[in-house]
Amino acid sequence: MSAASSLYVHGDSVFHRLAPRAKIALVAGLFAVALVFDHPAFVVVPLVVAFGTLVALGGWSNFRRVRFIVVAVFVVGLVVWPLFTPAGGPIWLSTPVVELTRNEFLVALGRSMRFASFIITGLLFVTATSNEELVAGLRSLGVPFAFCFAVGTALRLFPTLLGATGTVRQAQEARGHDLRSGSPLQRIRNYIPLLIPVFMTAIRNVQTQAMALEARGFDTQAERTFYGRQSLAGSDWVAVGVGSLMLIGSVLVRYVLGMGTV
Amino acid sequence: MDTSHSDGGIVARLRDVIFSYDKQDDTSAVGDEHVDPDAREGFVLRGVDLDVPDESFTVVMGASGGGKSTLLRTFNGIIPDFIDGTFDGDIRVLDRDPTTSRVSAMARDVGMVIQDYESQLFGTSVETEVAFGPENLAVPPEKIGPRIDDSLSVAGLGDLGRTREPDSLSGGQKQRLVFAGVLAMHPDLLMLDEPTSDLDPAGSRDVLSVVSRLAEAAATEASVGDWDGPDSIVLVTHKIEEALLADHAILLKGGRAAHAGPAEEVFRNVEALRESRVAVPPLVEAFERLGFADEDLPLAVDSAVEIVNNANLTWTPPGKRDGYSPSVPAGTATDLGNPLFELEDITHEYDADGETIRAVDGVDLTIKEGEALAIVGHNGSGKTTLAKHLNGLLDPDEGVARWNGRDIRELGMSEVGRSVGYVFQNPDHQIFAATVREEVAFGPENFELTGEELDRRVARAIETVELDGLEDADPFTLSKGQRQRVALASVLATDPDAIVFDEPTTGLDAEQQATFMDLVADLNREEGVTVVMVTHSMSTVATYAPRTVVMSDGRKVADEPTRELFADEDSLAEWDLRPPQPVALSNRLAAEAGQTDALPALSVDELVAGLADEPITTTGSGGGST
Repeated sequence: MSAASSLYVHGDSVFHRLAPRAKIALVAGLFAVALVFDHPAFVVVPLVVAFGTLVALGGWSNFRRVRFIVVAVFVVGLVVWPLFTPAGGPIWLSTPVVELTRNEFLVALGRSMRFASFIITGLLFVTATSNEELVAGLRSLGVPFAFCFAVGTALRLFPTLLGATGTVRQAQEARGHDLRSGSPLQRIRNYIPLLIPVFMTAIRNVQTQAMALEARGFDTQAERTFYGRQSLAGSDWVAVGVGSLMLIGSVLVRYVLGMGTV
Repeated sequence: MDTSHSDGGIVARLRDVIFSYDKQDDTSAVGDEHVDPDAREGFVLRGVDLDVPDESFTVVMGASGGGKSTLLRTFNGIIPDFIDGTFDGDIRVLDRDPTTSRVSAMARDVGMVIQDYESQLFGTSVETEVAFGPENLAVPPEKIGPRIDDSLSVAGLGDLGRTREPDSLSGGQKQRLVFAGVLAMHPDLLMLDEPTSDLDPAGSRDVLSVVSRLAEAAATEASVGDWDGPDSIVLVTHKIEEALLADHAILLKGGRAAHAGPAEEVFRNVEALRESRVAVPPLVEAFERLGFADEDLPLAVDSAVEIVNNANLTWTPPGKRDGYSPSVPAGTATDLGNPLFELEDITHEYDADGETIRAVDGVDLTIKEGEALAIVGHNGSGKTTLAKHLNGLLDPDEGVARWNGRDIRELGMSEVGRSVGYVFQNPDHQIFAATVREEVAFGPENFELTGEELDRRVARAIETVELDGLEDADPFTLSKGQRQRVALASVLATDPDAIVFDEPTTGLDAEQQATFMDLVADLNREEGVTVVMVTHSMSTVATYAPRTVVMSDGRKVADEPTRELFADEDSLAEWDLRPPQPVALSNRLAAEAGQTDALPALSVDELVAGLADEPITTTGSGGGST
């Protein structure tokens, strides 16, 4: 079975129904908690909340698609961070090759969980936010229209480009082309028959798109109007409040109360 | 209807318009040689003089690469404002000079829909897509909502969820969404550049119903929502059945408007159509060969029936006429060898938005050596997915696909890919090499062919597709028809036993289609290559495929000789398929004569033979016989 190209999962959950700005506020709150604290006992909170919400919203299949990245980031972090962390506390692991102290382990674990939390929180956002909502959210935050338009167009065309890439790959495979054979250098060269048709198709499409854009009256210099700007509902304001509370609360707990550090 | 823009009943007037995509120092030496716009060298337009009548539905036709799209792009200033090149001449469109206006300014009055709907969708939802144009024109937001509703309704998308992402729509829905987006800008002149080329018959029909509605509004001054509708429509197309909807026609030849006038006159002028490399309407061709005068030639089946009855002609179905045996286009029952492909209970699923789609559902199919078979069905019916099991591009989730009795899954691409070629719909999805020779050699080289044998195979393949002399040309500079033949040559060079064609005639004009498909038929008849074609073109099926498989919702719903399949028009309609005119007319004539077991004519040749007093020597392509 082939996979779907979009990560958005249709749904009618409370999170789905929130305005994009409110979702961005909640996600920013989770990011803040994961960023501010070092101790795994604190960082685990946004990680578990994001993961639990992701699964509850039907995003398990999305997680499966990126699980190798999450695991790789986690494991590499566990191995690498101790090298850059001052030793401290009792030795928890001692081998002829390496010693691992309590501080080194907790910092490494906390950092790995932080990055995993970032990925999963981002995944949660795109799982419950359509491209349309994302662009609307950016626009409502005051991001310039030309940038929002470019983001929206890129998101819309990404599945199309993926589809074209799949077709080109099949077309070359049908002529006996094997991407995986040969030395590392040869494997890189193997991608040339794939990349040239994809780029040529993309370039042709870009020319046509630019022409079609002008024909639809698009002009960055001209006056334009915006249809469908919506104000925040009550539940959106609650979400913005929760997100803000997470952001401010975590800063206070970390820097005023001094908690959450190793 | 607002006609204030029109210039004495003329919506667009072009005089001495010349254009070249590259810079030319001397605009007086435009020459007569045909130049393909793909090549971007030389003059594509060579002194166009034409008038588009106001309140008309005008169709522009001509050879593929003959400058039709280039011409249309002068109407809204894309040429010369957006596309740099060499331009000269006078243009007035809606009382304005597009050559001194920005394209975005002309967009207020001139709307354009092009073939590639993917390149015209910019919104992330249905609603934002339609709103995009009016927003660009600074229409007040409170007026955009009603425009969205009206435009979607006219485009037949009134029931579509406003928040749906365009990517989730079918091809026909996407193209109609583009229509809605352009209509929401309330253009006075609507230009349509091959709007149905990438659509299946059902999608094309949906789009054409929108065009017909708008054309009617233009002609009768009916309103479209709270808008008067476009004053005029200009359509570029290769499809004669679409062209027959128009009331005014212009034929381009050699970069000039060679013939123009009422559509009924132009499409009865067989000589002019042939000169311009435009497909002659099949009924016009048939009745011209039967000796009828130009003004009597029928454009539709109803009028053809009337002419047959008035002239007291008798319809004799193929096979029931003395001295005439019906042609079998390619491959015959007696020619066939052992089973080459055996597909048993094939099921293939894929995941879309977390939902499992069963693209192919329990299909059995056996194809014998030397057979020529068509697979038809609407978009998403599973025909391409099924065809990709024939060379192992896709593996079945259930069932087994065998080639020469061996499970294709167990054979590497090095074995099955060498023997089963696959020609994709878009040649640009495979072309990457710097020369035609290198491109054609790519396949055999992958199969470890070298030296003299490689050179011999490459030379033979290039010669077979009649591209000799272009071995060192850059494939990207060739026309679409030539690139299609490069793709075929690259498959032929591996010396396959079978070739699968995915939409082999898309984007080709009448002459290119005939040239390419005659080549395929020759490979089948003379070299014994088994041919499987996935296609929407019913005339291609009728002319070149003795056997047809119909797919619907992943299932095989019919698998029978094409002639028998086309005799059952009720079933065809159920599967969203419409037979070509010769088939439809012969079925009607047989029904009126009470010939219950009669099989239809598949070609103009057979129609003429069945209506002529004496046996007629046939002349058509695709294996017509006497």
